Amino acid sequence: MHEMILWQVGNSTVHGTTLVMTWITMAVIIIIVLLGVRNLTSGKPGKMQNILEWLVDFIRKLVAENMDYKKGAPLLSYLMTLIMFIFFSNMLGLIPNFVAPLFHNVEFAKLNEIFHGPVLMSPTADINTTMGLATLTIILVVYLGIKHKGASYFRHFIEPNALFLPIHIVDILSKPMTLAFRLFGNIYAGEVLIAVILMLPGLYVFGGVIGPLPIWLGFSIFIGTIQSFVFTVLTIAYVAQAVAHDH
Amino acid sequence: MNPLGISFAYTIAATGSDNPISFDLTYFAMIISFLILVWFLKKYAWQPLMDMMEKRRQFIEDNLAHAEQERNDAEKIRLEYQEEMRQARSEAQSIIENATKISEQQATEIIAQARKETERMKESALADIGRERDKAVADVKAQVADMSIAIAEKIIRQKLDMTGQESLIDQFIQEVGDKPC
Repeated sequence: MHEMILWQVGNSTVHGTTLVMTWITMAVIIIIVLLGVRNLTSGKPGKMQNILEWLVDFIRKLVAENMDYKKGAPLLSYLMTLIMFIFFSNMLGLIPNFVAPLFHNVEFAKLNEIFHGPVLMSPTADINTTMGLATLTIILVVYLGIKHKGASYFRHFIEPNALFLPIHIVDILSKPMTLAFRLFGNIYAGEVLIAVILMLPGLYVFGGVIGPLPIWLGFSIFIGTIQSFVFTVLTIAYVAQAVAHDH
Repeated sequence: MNPLGISFAYTIAATGSDNPISFDLTYFAMIISFLILVWFLKKYAWQPLMDMMEKRRQFIEDNLAHAEQERNDAEKIRLEYQEEMRQARSEAQSIIENATKISEQQATEIIAQARKETERMKESALADIGRERDKAVADVKAQVADMSIAIAEKIIRQKLDMTGQESLIDQFIQEVGDKPC
């Protein structure tokens, strides 16, 4: 559980902690992925390349199961990045904050306050992040719907009857909201619980190996993995729904 | 939302910042950050990776097609060889049959010739025998004539001695019988 550090930008503010953690996540993903594609070969792939290829196949299978693969193929890069970003974001909140001493005296951009606390923060524990990703998803849905069906995409708003228009509007608005709040709620609650567990007296009896913290961290890994998968699958499903031809 | 959850969140958040659900410019910053990440990874990672996987797929596909073609070729060659083998075998069979037929024919011919030869030899032998016999008969005839003359001579010579006629004839006959025929 983090104190949200605000950076002043003009008349508005940004969540400094979230942004710093996002950039850490991005750096980690870029390093891991570049390690994977460093020695690309069409022959026998290395370990990292193998993992990435497995991920590509995994996403590709998800797309192929849900929609016409030709329509979904251009989305692969986006979906790969999405699932990796959400997964590593979720995991970041579980990592002990071992860099805190480095930034202890750094006043610049309030870094000493950002790296204050026992664990790092998940960027996905900020509603701005999850809502941003969900917005991208719904933009993608509408854009691909129009691209593949033209103006007739909007016809589904008044089907089977013009009276259903409000329901369809609620539908298209609730999609990104449920996406965003599901992910945010899961991860934020997980971080809150970690903070609460850390306040428990006697936590470090048995060196903290046996007790609520390891159990909850393990469960958080599980939740984080599931949520990244769910977000990606729902994105695929919404897009599939938008580009599918009516019968 | 569950009011219990809200109050819980507030108690935790009370140590520092405000409501955890607060929107500001972070929203846009996150969208831009994420899009930059998507662009970067697409350009430097996913695109090369997928191209490479496509290349491998192509490679395997080519290999499979190649293998299939080779298999077909091998099958064709096998059939050709089989056909050739069968032809050779039937040819050999016909050669053997021919040879057998020819040899049989030749044997028959040889046997017939031999038979003819023996026939001819027998005939010539018979002819020889006939000739010899004729000669012998002629000889015998000549001798009989001689003997007759001789007998007649003797009879004439002892004409007067009629009493001894019978013993004389016996004697002549005995003489004749001693002569080679």
